[in-house]
Amino acid sequence: MSCIGFFVAFVSSWFTVAESRVVAADDARQIVEEAQKRSNSKSERYEGVLQSLDANGRTTEKRWTFARLGSHGASKSVIRFTSPAEVKGVALLVVNHPDRASDQWMWTPAIERDRRIALQDRSTRFFGTDFSFEDLEERDVNQYDYALLGEEMVGGACWKVQSTPKQSRSSQYTKSVVWIRKDTFAFAQIESYVKDQVVRRMEYLDIRNVQGIWTARETVMTDLRRRSATRLRLEKVEYNVPLRDEDFTLQAIHRQ
Amino acid sequence: MRCALVVSALVIWSSGVAAQNLPPLQPIPPVLHPADRGPDPLASTISQRGFIEGRVFLFPHMAPNDTTRGIADVLFREEIFLKPARWIQFAAGFDLRANSHDQVEDQWRLDFTDRGVRRPRAAIRRLTATLTARGFNLDIGKQFIRWGRADILNPTDRFAPRDYLNVIDTDFLPVIGAHPSLQIGEETFEAVWVPQLTPSRLPLFNQRWTVVPPDAAPAPIEDGGSRISRRSEYGLRWTHSGGRFETALSYFDGFNHLPNIESRVLPARRAVELTRVYPAIRTYGADMIIPSGWFTLKGEAAYFTSPSGASEEYGLYVVEIERQTGEWMLDAGYAGEVVTSSRNSFPFAPERGMARSIIGRASYTVDPRRTIAIEGAARESGQGVYVKGEYSAAFGQHWRLTMTGVAIAGDEDDFLGQYQRNSHGSIAFRLSF
Repeated sequence: MSCIGFFVAFVSSWFTVAESRVVAADDARQIVEEAQKRSNSKSERYEGVLQSLDANGRTTEKRWTFARLGSHGASKSVIRFTSPAEVKGVALLVVNHPDRASDQWMWTPAIERDRRIALQDRSTRFFGTDFSFEDLEERDVNQYDYALLGEEMVGGACWKVQSTPKQSRSSQYTKSVVWIRKDTFAFAQIESYVKDQVVRRMEYLDIRNVQGIWTARETVMTDLRRRSATRLRLEKVEYNVPLRDEDFTLQAIHRQ
Repeated sequence: MRCALVVSALVIWSSGVAAQNLPPLQPIPPVLHPADRGPDPLASTISQRGFIEGRVFLFPHMAPNDTTRGIADVLFREEIFLKPARWIQFAAGFDLRANSHDQVEDQWRLDFTDRGVRRPRAAIRRLTATLTARGFNLDIGKQFIRWGRADILNPTDRFAPRDYLNVIDTDFLPVIGAHPSLQIGEETFEAVWVPQLTPSRLPLFNQRWTVVPPDAAPAPIEDGGSRISRRSEYGLRWTHSGGRFETALSYFDGFNHLPNIESRVLPARRAVELTRVYPAIRTYGADMIIPSGWFTLKGEAAYFTSPSGASEEYGLYVVEIERQTGEWMLDAGYAGEVVTSSRNSFPFAPERGMARSIIGRASYTVDPRRTIAIEGAARESGQGVYVKGEYSAAFGQHWRLTMTGVAIAGDEDDFLGQYQRNSHGSIAFRLSF
């Protein structure tokens, strides 16, 4: 009786573990979906301070304001530089789409022209920072395939998820590995690959609860090929503020 | 048996926890009360930007009508933007200049119309009120209006006169008018009304950028002034800014901001008098951008008609391919012209002068502080070519150094080639604030 009981217990536990492994593969998408759900808001704005550090150790500082209306894959955002003086007024309008790459335009006050940022431009660094134009897009969970790689400690216990862009989503990156905090579902780190080489690493630091949303007050984007980094500090972060749709148009970014 | 059951229970329990151990979902945060919000950066009340720039031009060669080989220029520019409410914004800009080669007026007066032959010493560069309501936008006052999508040549850009005191290194001039626009989804409808033409500023007749024919060189040139009609101008434009492509159609009814030059012999003074006459034109224009994964294709074209019959009728077009790869931005294209009706007129027309040319530009971002660029144009006949190289570097948050070298070569009867004695270098320091 004891042997049969032990055998039944062993087999049932094995099926339970196997079932949990099957659930874990689906969990990768569920984890990312949950992270997206928990960071969802109707709008967002902040003032950003950027410090770019080049391979020789020289730093340049820029400041911008950021505003977003809508959420995850169906949003619009405007970035406008406020410092230094020679780039003041330069603005980037990003219109995100759930089913394809975003549309982006950059307004340059010095020549009173806006310029469409084409798809092949998206890998270019944005205004001398280590963020590429693609890095400024929003990622929607439906644009990627996911696989759970395990768990690791990055600022806390994290799930490690691999995300691969679907064919409908053009990307400079072959894949990304995302670390998501198990306690808050906030992103802790993203490593982006071109083929098998890590080319960029985004670290999310100083994660705090802002209006119920766990927000990284500091992000560091490191370009591992150029050995340069850009630190972005978010100040005056606010969610769900009333913003107007007409402030996210080409006409709007033309206004200084 | 009891232990086995406990163990299996533990296994079942732990796997269930692993699959379902999610922190509780936070409630959706409420919208902040206005009093609790930080300042709205989109509704900031006042901002400014400006710079002081000193620049020196050095010309290796003298010209028959201009022996000066070094020119110094200083420009102070300040712009202020005031947004007292979400629906209205005011913009004002002010320029103050000085120049060593008589390219700036001597008198101290505050210029508003920009119709002088020389650059004004003090001028209102911009004075605009902008009203917005949903998708409607209205700009009234002295403003910059830019049409067209190409980078090298913009045949449809009819409300953008330029300062051609240096034909290679030009600056846009603002116009005074009203510019309403309405955006509905991906479609934008614009209209422009300008009560009176603002002409482009031509090279001074006694300076090197006015090339005098060799057989006319001994005769002094007198400036007969400008004849500018008092009739107003207007334009209409529809733009589609979609995901797959952008396109626009435009119509313009007004005057060419580039003049025909009428000459008259003055026998008493043994001189030649040159007068700028700005002909009436109507243009029908179109432009398109098609972005793809490999490059961006840009095209722009306009057909110029002459209601008065005083000027030629012609089409100007430009086709460009732009590609960005890494830190390189590459742009190459062809500007062409088709003349459908010839007239015996003598226009100063840098736009047409650049037509029938292969044009290219390459720029490289060395690092966040430094860029290098080279651009050039070569006439398809081979009779004129120019190449311009530029290096720009920022120092700290406020200073920028820009060094430029321009080489021009070709035949004297070619628009580009005629400036073969005007190859030059320049260096500029700018303090931005």
